[in-house]
Amino acid sequence: MNHILEKHTLQDLLQSWRQDYDVYLPQKMENFSHFMPLTETSVLVDGDPHNTRIPPKALFLPMNEALVKFTRFGGYEDAKHEIQSRIVFGIRPCDAQAVQLLDTSFIQEDNIDPLWSERREKTITIGLGCHEPCQTGFCTTVGYGPFDRADLDAMLTDLGETYLVETFSEAGEGCFLGLPVASEEIYNQALDIQRSAHDQMPVAFETENLKGKLEQNFKSDYWDTVSQSCLGCGVCTFLCPTCFCFDIVDETQRRERVRNWDSCMFRTYSLEASGHNPRPSRVERTRQRLSHKYVYWLDQVNQIGCTGCGRCVRYCPVGLDIRAMLRQAQTLPFEVSHAA
Amino acid sequence: MQPNGHSLYTPIPMHVLHAYYESPDRSLKTLELSFDHAEDSQAFFEAFNPGQFCLLSVPGKGESALGVANAAWEGDFVRFTAQNVGSVTAALHKLNAGDPVGMRGPKGNGFPLNDWKGKNLVIIGGGCAFSTLYALTKHVHHESHRDDYGKLTLIYGTRTSGLCMYKHDIAAWHEDEDMEIHQAIDIPEDNWQYHVGYVPDVVKQVAPSPENAVAIVCGPPIMTKFTLPALVDLGFSPENIFTSLEKRMKCGVGKCGRCNLGPQYICKDGPVFSLAELNALPADL
Repeated sequence: MNHILEKHTLQDLLQSWRQDYDVYLPQKMENFSHFMPLTETSVLVDGDPHNTRIPPKALFLPMNEALVKFTRFGGYEDAKHEIQSRIVFGIRPCDAQAVQLLDTSFIQEDNIDPLWSERREKTITIGLGCHEPCQTGFCTTVGYGPFDRADLDAMLTDLGETYLVETFSEAGEGCFLGLPVASEEIYNQALDIQRSAHDQMPVAFETENLKGKLEQNFKSDYWDTVSQSCLGCGVCTFLCPTCFCFDIVDETQRRERVRNWDSCMFRTYSLEASGHNPRPSRVERTRQRLSHKYVYWLDQVNQIGCTGCGRCVRYCPVGLDIRAMLRQAQTLPFEVSHAA
Repeated sequence: MQPNGHSLYTPIPMHVLHAYYESPDRSLKTLELSFDHAEDSQAFFEAFNPGQFCLLSVPGKGESALGVANAAWEGDFVRFTAQNVGSVTAALHKLNAGDPVGMRGPKGNGFPLNDWKGKNLVIIGGGCAFSTLYALTKHVHHESHRDDYGKLTLIYGTRTSGLCMYKHDIAAWHEDEDMEIHQAIDIPEDNWQYHVGYVPDVVKQVAPSPENAVAIVCGPPIMTKFTLPALVDLGFSPENIFTSLEKRMKCGVGKCGRCNLGPQYICKDGPVFSLAELNALPADL
């Protein structure tokens, strides 16, 4: 159902959710915004077309969390985590898409990550569509959009003084009970905004045959060219909403086995005990990062594993731009006959 | 969730039954582990297939992926041989009979034994990677499975004779008329009566027949790299050449992203691949 939400009542509505849920929403932190729990004094970020710096994947896969607890006499037990029912408010469609993509890895039949899955089950996600295109984003280029529903429970469209609230699930509807129903006219107005936002997004690069070109040029010196200025800092992967690699290390003092976010851009990521490293330089590591998003995800779930949020572009310290890298990839040779 | 109700990441408790060195230089140590709980043992053997691996865990050090080196018929234990190369394997080398150790597994696909029924098997191993091939040989060679397969040929190379693992069985197999065994060392030694040379060269020399046969190759990357084309030259089709791969691993269940080879995870979709499958994947090893 579609509702109208007056912006000046939003604070009260959010506070009312706190009775039953932990409420997370983007809040201002220095010069960026960050998903944090709502408190009585929280100030909402208004008019920030940018995404949070750290993607909301962190709400489902924390940067650091214990998996196993060491018990006495060499035993093990599952690390305990109290996972509360939550509402995540203000999640952007690109990030919601990313979380849904990550479900395909963490929630597989007979192979379920218990922590990811429990957090997903206990979270209501309320999206905030992007009515103004962000500078580095390219969601429409990779097949997503500024108002994609993904599996959001509800989504808001900014209409100036009010929001149009579209609810897509019972849980989402439950959050907005009692709000006035939007008229046909207002709904159509919102649809126009959604369409125009979609149309304003520029095409950052062509995706036709991109997968095949990257595959067929696995050994090309293209990879040397595009990785030359990379410092290997890993920020592109760390802040990427679809990157999910993690390391597992033992924290002796805590007597816990812990997982931490990891990055395929680091040398030690693939370094083997024998000294052999299948990806010894940034050339191979850059190839892995781009190929994972634009080749391997497609093989696995037939979707590009990049939702075009633009964080890797915005935060790269040397200004490496995945859009430019992929435009360059489009100039690589391609043989149709090889494409199976 | 594991059969015992624990999370994917939580090891099951095991104890060291026997621990002994395989080589005089003490670089290779074999651990035979017993299950603390009968239901863990039952779940393990219900899922187990030669070619699979487990993650052995030492609290405070971490986990290490090791191939299972025993066949199910040998008894209610699991055998591993670890080379002392990193911090976890160094900790494993310190273990002795009676010590606790954690284990997750069996992981991975294992060898497609059903597809190989009725075929001649050419088993080619190098160094400590021979462990899962040892499990395979023990399985196939057992009287209850032997009739399912044709001729059994084993080619096993190590740098020195001392580094040859499972010496007792290897010695017995030399006497066994049911099996053709070719042993090799890289460096000549006095009184050595078998081949001297690298495994790919020995394979060319022995020239096993590709007729109704599958070849299974497991060894260090450099050996595999040269052995696979040697087998193709001998007439083996890529569909009939198998190898077991290894990469750095953490989770062992296809979540942490580390061991990918293109869209496949070695821990979950492998570690056993045919050359035909490998040819379709990027050369990212």
